Amino acid sequence: MKKISQAQQNEFSRYLDGLMTPAEQLEFESILAEDKLLKARFDELRFVQQSLLGLRPEQPSRNFTSRVMQRLNEYPAKSSGLSMRSGIFLLIGVLLAVGIGSVLISAGVFDSATTTLGLPHYAVIERLMKRSTPGIPFNGKLVVNIIILLNLGLAWLVLDKAILKPLFQRRMEAGE
Amino acid sequence: MTNDPDLLIIDRILAGEQSAYADLVDKYKSYAYTIALKIIINRGEAEEAAQDAFIKAYHHLSSFHRESKFSTWLYRIVFNTAISYKRKNRQQFQSIDNIIEYGAPDAEGRSEITDKKKYLQLALARLNEADRTALTLFYLEEFSLEEIAEITGMLANTAKVRIHRARQRLADELKIMLKSEALTL
Repeated sequence: MKKISQAQQNEFSRYLDGLMTPAEQLEFESILAEDKLLKARFDELRFVQQSLLGLRPEQPSRNFTSRVMQRLNEYPAKSSGLSMRSGIFLLIGVLLAVGIGSVLISAGVFDSATTTLGLPHYAVIERLMKRSTPGIPFNGKLVVNIIILLNLGLAWLVLDKAILKPLFQRRMEAGE
Repeated sequence: MTNDPDLLIIDRILAGEQSAYADLVDKYKSYAYTIALKIIINRGEAEEAAQDAFIKAYHHLSSFHRESKFSTWLYRIVFNTAISYKRKNRQQFQSIDNIIEYGAPDAEGRSEITDKKKYLQLALARLNEADRTALTLFYLEEFSLEEIAEITGMLANTAKVRIHRARQRLADELKIMLKSEALTL
């Protein structure tokens, strides 16, 4: 089956937008008269064009202006970067991590995770200090506890910013 | 000295007369709402996005440099606000009552659905938001290609091509819909 090329489609647009010269228009119309497929496609596009020309703007609610004026001093407009749904998922994830961490700690998994992290030995530094580079003590239980505390802080922030605040804001607006 | 009434209102607002902003909101609210609705599709969210855009515009009024029309500047804010609303709420549940009434086919209302306008709205809803907005701006207020480009953040040539292609896609969608409707009759 014969297909209509993009160049031909562009010609349709030029005709419909009135961008053709009178001579070009006549030529285009004579081509259409001879080709049924092109004529059918042209009729479809002309129907779309005519329908689009009939588009009218939609009307917002009657109190639109008064609501904008009421809210003018409330700025920045609601702009929590996190949606409530994502907030709930994040909160569940954080609480799950805290729970797993707490269970592992209470099971004593990190009790033996204490070691000393050795620093690389540099002869020049050791000669200047006149002793070998000291190691850093590492306590796995302490690190996990800190991570749990940070997670609890994050959970509180997520709960406040992404869930409670938008919830109360919606209730206030609904009550207005 | 300027004779543009919008600029005179803006001068009054910047001088501290906040209530004058209501004149600008009244003047542009229907087009602002229509742009937001074409992007978001949901009436309630579109209204909220349009209101937020007006509030943002008010707070950034001093940064409007008057190089373009106030409406172009405002509609760009509406466009960006609606796009970010849509991204933020893409996953959220949409109440059926709030979704724009494009005339879902039903046994009783079938005669109404034969209305060309309803088909057009249904077909428009099937296009992507950029195509829908470009077509709406082009036909609704007869914005120039340069203004459409400025509002949607694309080049004028890109806007031109997008409008042409969107019109073709719209014709294809209408054809498919009318065919399937004919089969169900």
